[in-house]
Amino acid sequence: MDILKHLVDQCGQAEIMVLRDEKTLVEFEANQLKTCTVAETKGVAVRVISAGKQGFAASSDARSLERLASNALDSASYGDTAAFSFAAPVEARAIRTYDGTVAELSIERLVSMGRELADIVLAVEPDARCKIAISRSVVDKNIRNHRGLNVECRSSPLSIYMGVDRIEGDDMLIISDQLGTTVWDDDYLALARRLAEKLRLSRRTASVKPGRMPVLFSPVGALALSMPLCEGLNGKEVCKGNSPIANKVGERLFDPRISIVDDGTMNGRFASSAYDDEGVPRRRNALIENGRLMGFIYDLKTAAESGIESTGNASRGLFSPANPAFTNLCIEPGETPLAEIIAGMDEGIIVEDVLGLGMGNTISGVFSNPVALAFKVEHGEIVGRAKGLSIAGNVYELLKELGAISRESEWVYGANQAPYILIPDMSVAGGDGAGS
Amino acid sequence: MKNKIHSALASSKADYTEIRIEEKESVRVAFRGKNLEVANANSDRGGMVRCLVKDKGWGVATFNDLDDLRSKVDQAYRCARVGSVLEPIELSPAEPVVTTLSASMRNDFRLVPLSDKKALVEYYNGILLGFDGRIVDTRAIYADSFSRIIFANSEGSWIEQEKPSAAFMAVAIAKEGDNVQQGIESVATNGEDGWDVVLGRDELARKAARTALGLLTAKPVKAGRYTVVANPKLASVFIHEAFGHLSEADFIYENPKAREMMTLGRRFGKGILNVYDDGSIPGLRGTTLYDDEGTPARRNWLIREGVLVGRLHSRQTAAKMGESPTGNARAVSYRFAPIVRMTNTAIDNGTTSFEDMIGDIELGIYACDYYGGETKFEDFSFSSGHAWMIRDGKIAEMAKDVTLAGNLFTTLDNVDAVGNDFAWDESPSGCGKFGQVPLHVGQGAPHIRVRDVVIGGE
Repeated sequence: MDILKHLVDQCGQAEIMVLRDEKTLVEFEANQLKTCTVAETKGVAVRVISAGKQGFAASSDARSLERLASNALDSASYGDTAAFSFAAPVEARAIRTYDGTVAELSIERLVSMGRELADIVLAVEPDARCKIAISRSVVDKNIRNHRGLNVECRSSPLSIYMGVDRIEGDDMLIISDQLGTTVWDDDYLALARRLAEKLRLSRRTASVKPGRMPVLFSPVGALALSMPLCEGLNGKEVCKGNSPIANKVGERLFDPRISIVDDGTMNGRFASSAYDDEGVPRRRNALIENGRLMGFIYDLKTAAESGIESTGNASRGLFSPANPAFTNLCIEPGETPLAEIIAGMDEGIIVEDVLGLGMGNTISGVFSNPVALAFKVEHGEIVGRAKGLSIAGNVYELLKELGAISRESEWVYGANQAPYILIPDMSVAGGDGAGS
Repeated sequence: MKNKIHSALASSKADYTEIRIEEKESVRVAFRGKNLEVANANSDRGGMVRCLVKDKGWGVATFNDLDDLRSKVDQAYRCARVGSVLEPIELSPAEPVVTTLSASMRNDFRLVPLSDKKALVEYYNGILLGFDGRIVDTRAIYADSFSRIIFANSEGSWIEQEKPSAAFMAVAIAKEGDNVQQGIESVATNGEDGWDVVLGRDELARKAARTALGLLTAKPVKAGRYTVVANPKLASVFIHEAFGHLSEADFIYENPKAREMMTLGRRFGKGILNVYDDGSIPGLRGTTLYDDEGTPARRNWLIREGVLVGRLHSRQTAAKMGESPTGNARAVSYRFAPIVRMTNTAIDNGTTSFEDMIGDIELGIYACDYYGGETKFEDFSFSSGHAWMIRDGKIAEMAKDVTLAGNLFTTLDNVDAVGNDFAWDESPSGCGKFGQVPLHVGQGAPHIRVRDVVIGGE
């Protein structure tokens, strides 16, 4: 049956998303290639608006389209008030998210990439144990609706995860890094080089006396700062009245060196696509410009509630309804070379990774995280790994005045680009003696 | 389906083959603030084939299209042949199991119309919204699912299991000026309670609202080292994060240094500390009567009187370490192969009363409930939902943003009192590992007292 036509006949407004995903995955455990997986996913999600109410249903069972349709209509009869309409067809600029080189990577090539990654780390640390997962997929997403929208997004995500365990007695070091892209990246070994460098710097430990000190956040560590901020920048939290910065558009809230952009239109990036998951063209959204709050991210529903246009940030899984979500989130780099920032630190730490990211009452801007990996800096030099530390603060306070932002920036966790960010004076707990 | 599965297994050229087919129907009703976000039903149906070629590796195929299982077996077999392990992979011997486990619910949530589910959640949401003018936002979420899982392997096992799950969560968000605070309460059942578990929960909603309002005037804790008394809910996530993950044998079985660190007989805590994992207790969140390799559940003692006595295994890790499989090979869905996971993990009941536990604490923290926890084995983190200061042996003012950090080896040894008030955590807890999230797990503990815990803060 043509489920879209069936639903439109029943209730006027309908949208259907068909998702197909074919993934090949190779996994190394303890430096050995152990498991290869081929995963195929197919599913259909539908939304309807019936008598002003929204309904939603999804299924991965191709036999039961009638059931899917009746579930969606049933859902709408109890559903929430929908003050919006599904997306009108608008031609989007072409964005490169598919690369035949990635889509056609053979399983043997994925295996050899894994070995190259492991070799880089094992050359530095022969006793380390590497866990590596490399996957390449072809994802096809088709969204159609009653207004004649019919968009087809094809992407070829390539993901590499690499985790390294090093154990010496009771000293455990567990570090990881990730790559996410939709086009071939010649520098896919960079993450293994970064891990090898961290292992090398961690050979010595250094003790840190708790107290207030300068803290330099690496691009990964900076997620501890950007995650609470992102909650406040999400249009949904703004609509619900939770965002502490809901009414502050146009105000200078942060250090003038801070600019943050959400950009779903960058060619080849992990979270890029021509259209969002409601069929609205993706955009480049300046959120903070030179410390000034410019706006928030929205999907159709939250935009309608706020009386503005969707920013093209709808995101959904097969079984979950749409919500506003960030695409490629970029904290713009600054002007100071990283080496100069470190050289200028008399005594402080570099936070490379934290535990419990996003846990806690982060909507208030508060974060409090044990540090998973940090290095101590003394008189401008990295002197070793600092263990057992915890950091805490409120991003709305800490980001008012920065020490420096590095010229260098990195892509981390697939879709986050960040520089090194120096907070000149913040609280660091724990540590004393634990590192010696 | 039975014939199709048998014939696909028979066609396999691998040393070992298993097939798992899952059909899941789920319902979700979610209110956010005044609005209903969703009230809907989803169907998920798919399968997984896993093949082992001993001197090569594992091959896995996952799929939604169940028409041609033989070709999926062939695909998994070809994947397995790509592997290149240094030593052949062995599996612990297992007796084939043929059984059918049906779920019975006193009050079957599948028979409750969506309109009734919506009405009840709306009612609880009304309690949250009406509690106080400072409650600016809420979440009231009901979710249930019913899964039918068939597991069959080339050794003759055929296990059919039905798994019901129902959960309700109430979140109150209070705001005063720029100060935003949350109170979270939840309850879940994976057993025979069914729909009954969400009935009569007015007090649970009110408690979430009270916590959020209380936190508005709470002060952040000054950073430092404190004696911490954790309530049963927080103590239970503590043992899951701080120790449970390290007892999962897949982390250590191929790393000689990790095996040395986790040698059975090593002392981890004082004599009062006893820890187990048990997937066989009926109706708990992590109950797994047969795991996803067909191994029956049992009680596995991990720490007895402070000493490491056991760990959690799949058939592969058990064979490699010369131990017995423990029933802990679990997969979050048909989209994944099983890996070593906890089931219901607990600190066993002790003898200290709550009054005695706090009685001699001059300055400490009573930390309650949790937002979440994470471990990198040696170091772990967990953030409490709310907390109180302990002053001169008494519970004093409320405190907020309390995140506990610790080191496994020192913190477990710093547990110097175990309460006599054991309780299983009733919340719908889920655990994540290697992308498999949220796997239902249970956790339980009495109150515990831990000396010298690092608390982050300003």
